[in-house]
Amino acid sequence: MKPVMTYSGTSTERDLEIDARAYAEAMLNILADFSEEKTHLHDTQRAILNILDDANDEAAQLRTTQRAMINILEDVDAETNERKKSEQQVRELNRSLEARVVQRTAALTAAIKDLEGFSYSVSHDLRAPLRAIDGFSRILLEDYAVKLDDEGRRLMNVVRDNTAKMARLIDDILAFTRAGRSELALVDNDMAALVRTCWEELKPAMGGRQVRYEMGTLPPVRADRAALRQVLINLLSNAVKFTRPRQQAMIEIGGRSEGGENIYYVKDNGAGFDMQYAHKLFSVFQRLHGQDEFEGTGIGLAIVKRIIDKHGGRVWAEGRINEGAIFYFALPNASLDEGEQP
Amino acid sequence: MNDEMEVGILLVEDNQTDAELAIRALKKHNLANGLFWVKDGAEALDFLFKRGVYAERMTEPNPCVILLDLRLPKVDGLEVLRVIKIDERTKLIPVVVLTSSTQDQDMVESYKLGVNSFVSKPVEFGAFMKTVAELGLYWLLINRKPKQ
Repeated sequence: MKPVMTYSGTSTERDLEIDARAYAEAMLNILADFSEEKTHLHDTQRAILNILDDANDEAAQLRTTQRAMINILEDVDAETNERKKSEQQVRELNRSLEARVVQRTAALTAAIKDLEGFSYSVSHDLRAPLRAIDGFSRILLEDYAVKLDDEGRRLMNVVRDNTAKMARLIDDILAFTRAGRSELALVDNDMAALVRTCWEELKPAMGGRQVRYEMGTLPPVRADRAALRQVLINLLSNAVKFTRPRQQAMIEIGGRSEGGENIYYVKDNGAGFDMQYAHKLFSVFQRLHGQDEFEGTGIGLAIVKRIIDKHGGRVWAEGRINEGAIFYFALPNASLDEGEQP
Repeated sequence: MNDEMEVGILLVEDNQTDAELAIRALKKHNLANGLFWVKDGAEALDFLFKRGVYAERMTEPNPCVILLDLRLPKVDGLEVLRVIKIDERTKLIPVVVLTSSTQDQDMVESYKLGVNSFVSKPVEFGAFMKTVAELGLYWLLINRKPKQ
C-alpha cells in the first residue's frame, strides 16, 4: 500500500517533489489499472463476441435442421399422396376386373346354354329319321320276307342293330344334357327310403341271380329328388351289371356324415377296373370295358358326376381289376329346413 | 282316305314317314277307315272349318278324333289346338297331341288349352306302331263322345 498522497498547506519544494512524484505514481497506477480494465474489457468483449458467434452457428444449425425436417415432412406427404393414388388405382382395377369377371361369366353361361340347347335339338331332331330307318327296314323285312334270302335278312338286321345303337346314344346324349339343364328343386330326402325304392326297381333285372345286398346307414340329405334318384339308379345298376360274372354278387350301399358332407358309397365285388384309368371313369362315352364284355354307352357315370357337381358335391371311385369297385359321392350337408317334408 | 265318307281320324302330321308309319299301324288294326291326313296347321283348320281348298267338303260330322303333331309348318300345333277348343263348332272333338317334343312346357300349354290327351311319339319303331294302334283303338272304339 502506497502512502496516500495528501496536500498540506505550505510545503517546501521537497514536499512538492514528493507530492508530484506520489501523484505521478498514483496516476500511473490508475492508468495501469485502467489498462487492465481495458484488457479485461477487451477480453469480455471478445468472449461476448465468441458467444454471439456460437449462438449464430447454433442458429444456423437449427435452421438447417428445420429445413431438413420440413423436407422430410414434405417427402412423407408426397409418399402418402402416392400411396393414396396407388390405392385408388388398385380399387379401380379391382372394380374393372370384377366387371369383366361378371361379363365373362355371363358370356360363358350363355355359351353353355347355347351348347346345351344345340345338343338337345340335334339329338331330338336325329330321332325322327332314325325312326324312319328303323321302321322302314322292319317293314321291308316283314313285307318282303319271302323275297329275301338269309343273307338279305342278315344285312337288314345289321342295319336295324345299328339304328338301335344310334337311338341309345341319342337317348344318352339327351339324358346327359337334361341332367345339366334343369334347375335343382332341393328337398330333404329320406335316403334309406329312396335307395329301397331304387333297389326294388332294379330287382327284376337280376332275376335268378344270387345277389347279396346290404344296406348300411344312410343319413338324410338335401338334394333334388329326381336327380338323386337318377344317381342311385345309375350306380346301383352298374353294380348289378358288373357283378354278372360272379357266382354270388355282393352289393353294398351306405353312407356317413362327416365334416359338412354326407359321403355315400356303392360297393360291389364285380369286374372292377384298373385304377390307372380312374380319371376316365366319369367322362362322357368313356368305357373301360368292351361292348362284348358289358353293354352300355358310357354315359351313366358322366350323368352321375354332372348331377353331383351341380349340387356342389364330388364323386370318386376305387377299384381293382376283378376285385370289385367302390363308387363314392359326397353331397354338402346343409341343415334340414323345418317345414319341408322328406 | 277321302272326304266323302265320315271322317274317322284326322291326322295332322307334317313328317311324311311318321305319317306313313302311323297310317300303316292303324290300317293293320282296321282303324284307318275314314282317316284323313293333312300336312300342316293351316290345312288342318281349313279342313275343320271348310275353308280354302276344303270349302267344297261335304257336310258331314266332325272327325271322331284329331291326332295332332305340335311341330307344324304355317300354323303351329298349339295354335291349332287353341282354335279348335275355342270354336263352338269344334270344341267337343277329342284332340290327342302326338308329338316328338319332350318339352314339359309344351305339355303344360296343351293341357291349359284343353287337350284331351298328350302322347310322346316313341322313338323306337315297334313302340311307335304299338302306341298309335292303341290310340286308335281307344279313341275310336272305347272312348265315347257326344254326337254332333
